Amino acid sequence: MSNNRIKRRTVLRGLGTAISLPLLESMIPRSVAASAPEAPLRVAFLYVPNGMHMPDWTPQKIGANYDVPATLKPIEHLKSEINVLTNLTLDGARAHGDGGGDHARSAAAFLTGAHPKKTNGADILNGISVDQVIAQQVGDETRFASLELGLEGSSQSGSCDSGYSCAYSSNLAWRNSTSPLAKEMDPTAVFDRLFASGDKKEDAQAKGARKHRRKSVLDFALQDAQSLHRDLGAADRRKLDEYLYALRDIEKRLVMSEKLDVGNYERPAGVPKDIGDHARVMLDMMTLSLQTDSTRVASFMFANEGSNRSHPDLGAPESHHQLSHHGKSAEKQAKIAKINKYYVEHLAYFLDSLSAIQEGESSLLDNCLVLYGSGISDGDRHNHDDLPILMAGKGGGRVRPGRHIEYKRQTPLCNLYLWMMNQFGVRADSFGDSDGTVKV
Amino acid sequence: MSYFSPSCELKRQLNFGCKYYLLRLVCFSICFGGSAICSAVQEEERDVELRERIKPLLEEHCLGCHSGDEPDAGLTLDHFDAPIDFLKARDIWEHAAQKVQIEEMPPPEDNELSKEDRAYLVGWITEVIEEFECGLEPNPGQVTLRRLNAAEYSNTIRDLFGLKSYAPETAFAGDDVGYGFDNIGDVLTLPPLLMEKYFLEAERITTTLIQVPPKEKRFSYSVPGGQLQSKKGGGGDRDLTLSSAGTGVMQVQILKPGPYVLTIQASGDQAGKEPVQIGIELDGKLQRQKIAVPNEEPKDFQTIVRLRAGSRRIGIRFLNDFYDAGGNGRPKQDRNLHIHFVSLEGQKKPPKRLPESQLSSYHKRILFTYPTNEQDRERATRAVLNRMASYAFRRPVEKHDLDRLVGLALGIQDEGDSFEESIQIAIQAILISPKFLFRVEPPRDPNGLGKYRDLDEYELATRLSYFFWSTMPDGELLKLAANNQLREGNNLEQQIARLIKDPRSNEFVRNFAGQWLTLRKLEEFQPDPSAFPKWNEGMGRLARNETMYFFAGVMRRNMSVLNLLDAKFTYLNEDLAKYYGIEGVEGKQFRPVSLKGTNRGGLLTQASVLAVTSNPTRTSPVKRGKWILDNLLAKPPPPAPAGVPELEEREGELTGTLRERLEQHRENPACANCHKLMDPLGFALENFDAVGLYRTKDGALDIDATGELPDGTKVKGVGQLQALLLARHKKDFAECLTEKMMTFALGRGLEYYDKCAVDKIVAALEADNYRFSTLLVGIVRSDPFQKKGERE
Repeated sequence: MSNNRIKRRTVLRGLGTAISLPLLESMIPRSVAASAPEAPLRVAFLYVPNGMHMPDWTPQKIGANYDVPATLKPIEHLKSEINVLTNLTLDGARAHGDGGGDHARSAAAFLTGAHPKKTNGADILNGISVDQVIAQQVGDETRFASLELGLEGSSQSGSCDSGYSCAYSSNLAWRNSTSPLAKEMDPTAVFDRLFASGDKKEDAQAKGARKHRRKSVLDFALQDAQSLHRDLGAADRRKLDEYLYALRDIEKRLVMSEKLDVGNYERPAGVPKDIGDHARVMLDMMTLSLQTDSTRVASFMFANEGSNRSHPDLGAPESHHQLSHHGKSAEKQAKIAKINKYYVEHLAYFLDSLSAIQEGESSLLDNCLVLYGSGISDGDRHNHDDLPILMAGKGGGRVRPGRHIEYKRQTPLCNLYLWMMNQFGVRADSFGDSDGTVKV
Repeated sequence: MSYFSPSCELKRQLNFGCKYYLLRLVCFSICFGGSAICSAVQEEERDVELRERIKPLLEEHCLGCHSGDEPDAGLTLDHFDAPIDFLKARDIWEHAAQKVQIEEMPPPEDNELSKEDRAYLVGWITEVIEEFECGLEPNPGQVTLRRLNAAEYSNTIRDLFGLKSYAPETAFAGDDVGYGFDNIGDVLTLPPLLMEKYFLEAERITTTLIQVPPKEKRFSYSVPGGQLQSKKGGGGDRDLTLSSAGTGVMQVQILKPGPYVLTIQASGDQAGKEPVQIGIELDGKLQRQKIAVPNEEPKDFQTIVRLRAGSRRIGIRFLNDFYDAGGNGRPKQDRNLHIHFVSLEGQKKPPKRLPESQLSSYHKRILFTYPTNEQDRERATRAVLNRMASYAFRRPVEKHDLDRLVGLALGIQDEGDSFEESIQIAIQAILISPKFLFRVEPPRDPNGLGKYRDLDEYELATRLSYFFWSTMPDGELLKLAANNQLREGNNLEQQIARLIKDPRSNEFVRNFAGQWLTLRKLEEFQPDPSAFPKWNEGMGRLARNETMYFFAGVMRRNMSVLNLLDAKFTYLNEDLAKYYGIEGVEGKQFRPVSLKGTNRGGLLTQASVLAVTSNPTRTSPVKRGKWILDNLLAKPPPPAPAGVPELEEREGELTGTLRERLEQHRENPACANCHKLMDPLGFALENFDAVGLYRTKDGALDIDATGELPDGTKVKGVGQLQALLLARHKKDFAECLTEKMMTFALGRGLEYYDKCAVDKIVAALEADNYRFSTLLVGIVRSDPFQKKGERE
């Protein structure tokens, strides 16, 4: 530990947790700061569960001169960096004859636009998610094709929502229609994956030898799987295909590339107990990964869909899900709005971090597309049109932010996704249930 | 059976009675070998009923909406032409029959379905989807390739290496849950994130457990040619060029006498008949060996020199200078030597072994033998890896797999690394092999047409150990499997008894009971501290432990499973006893405590269950009722209609006590049909608050713990609820527990063809006073557990 290292967590604690502290430029590893002649486009998707108290979310006026509604107050100072997008719709989350289970469907459909198959386990079927489409396009250029983060693991007992496997309600990213990508919730683990820890000093020769060995171990496993493949039935093969994909994916990191050294961000010490601390350190991890160009595609779940997290500190000791069924009770709606605002405070923290990082003439936020929202609109009605969605960042000059845009009613959210993937060079003319594209 | 499915009463009226069912079983045993005739007769009957009565009913009352291209609720009911089609689409019809039974369908506004027709329709559908032709060989089903889940992985690593405990350096991301459990093959995916952790854990485990001898420091000295001492010739800073006979010399201090590797990087200007030649001088004395340097580009030449200790002078002499000034048509010729680089290194020696006293027991367990000499390397490598791979793969490793592993390790030894290091690498390969990470059971024998193969005994041993221990089979199971004795006599019964007695079966309690009873959700339960000050942070764990101990006690003492519903004892420690207000329990240790004279007894009165079915601010009779239907009776109520909030009570303008509000809520017909099933069961538990404490008042209001079932039966308090469950739902409970446990044991959701196995186990339970061991043995001896079938 060098003495001049900035102990960021300590600084945070000193300032009190309510104050957001952007990452200082001095914390950036020099090699990264110096490079980046033309900053790449990056994208992040952030998900909050159980819908929103919409009257406090949707601005009254259209265009640039809107009054910032209560829920969005924490990001008021970033108004010029944000577009609030009204009337986007997630048709895949609707029942379509499958009955209850809106929460599971909402998370599953949020980035896929698909209508997930109702099953408790056998034959899980959803669609590929927009982040993974983009990751396939640009993932080869970074060490991680994409990064999936969250504050809750997926392990729960019982059924998660009316006959839907928990895989649906706890994953946003789907590599294909059958393989969700589990998210990491331990900041230490993320840090270790992203960055070299200082204590393992190896000379070049030892490093070379280690890579060589890793390669032979991976090759060995690859052969194992291939020979096993021949002996198994179709469903088993699907599992083995996941294995093979995972092997090839990690080879890139374990054998072919070097971890970055970010000596001046202290390695996080496990999962913080306080949910706010946990959120901030995980969002830091996301910022660091985008900043260092370790990945260009990230997704983040503040909670699994249908979350029962209670927020006694906000004066809402009931569970979030329970409250979201407010039955028009003003008291419950007020509590919901508080929870909504609480999450937006964390969004503000994240966006402030991004905008404090300079990339040449612009900021990291300028080169990002950050989508934030939920797959449910009103938690009591479980409706999936008029979703609470906003997008921050200029997308490297591709977006004209600072407005409240009202689309035609029932405009597929996938229209926005189609536009986003096109910005990354994906040549597609449709995605999910898109029926065109939108302007932002 | 009153309101969950048609009663036997009803069935008898409709000539489909329980007797009929029994008759068919008898019929089967008679028609052994000729069952086709028997089945044909019954199927014909069913066909007739379908054609003559059911289809017209469906057409008249259902197909108007549920057919065509845009059916209501996306549900078409018009393509079911034979009884087997109903059976295969069991989910749909179970659901449909339920909707018809609770009079939600056909929609009440245009309801012309007579009471009799309704009963007939429901009865027929229920019968058809419940009765499954078990025949001689029902499909035992097939589980999808199962990855070890987080708990299984950790336990397996622990046992494979004989550790006291093991946890990965950073926790694995949670495994997804299907059918209520986190060990379902279809649902356990393997994202790259996890693969990366497996890989890094494999490195960490092997480098921690296997001790590698320190690499001996080798003597190493190198110098650019330009720095050699030389009287003649001249060169730049880097190279030494000898243009006439001469020597470049380096002086080194040798500590250990012996052979050294001298490497000379050299090139020559070639001229004349022979190539450039160099010789080696040791302390000025020219050695016999000559080295030819025929190349014009730099190249390495190696030779071994034996050196004594002390200051040594090593020279490189240019042996064959040649010069021809040329003239008379002959070109000028000049032979020179260029020395670019010289290095001297101690020879590689096979690394020494660490002294026995420094080795950990873990190390010795893995490396139980060493090569005694160079020729013995392969034997020792093979022996070590054979044992490790066979344990890791839970069956004798196949020869070609072992050959590859040995090849991998020998390759590493060939590069000069130690035996220990080579074993580290090979074990890393084992630990990320799909044969370790997955429980591989190849599909049914492709040659045995129509015959579902028995699992081989290694596969069976593995199923047993993961069922009861969530870990790999131990030596005894593997030994029985190796001798093909696992199925012999009553070995299975004895093994089950042994497995259950072993403390490792706490994992079964934790993983099965913890998930069956949804107690893992307690971790996220945070009751409002102002309303429930007695519940503190440690309570969730204590409450869960009570239920775990209780379940384990009933199981290990081989009591009737019905005790889970109403036992007059539980397991408490001092803190929890105080919480309940029970005296005379001291210390942190949980122990059996009688509940006679208290208002508690059975799962439904344990704080764990009562809390996990509550909201943070109050009880939820709805959640409690649903929990009973879901987890004790396997009669989950139909899901709420889309868009209608599920479970939660709409309050809004409703007023009054919780009960009154719920009753108002039930006036809405869309909600009433399901809530009349759930709410009364929950009301009977109202004497227990949201954190499981007994109460007689809620605020200022008296508690009314009465629920009225749809048939008018009133249930007051937990005592009457338990009595009701035992009087009417013993079998439902046995069936529910069997189904849940089978799901856990098989790692897949149950299918319609599993019904035969479940029925058999439930019948055995009924005949044997519901003893726990009968359930466990029944599951292990069932076809789905013993055989490999197919997915349908």
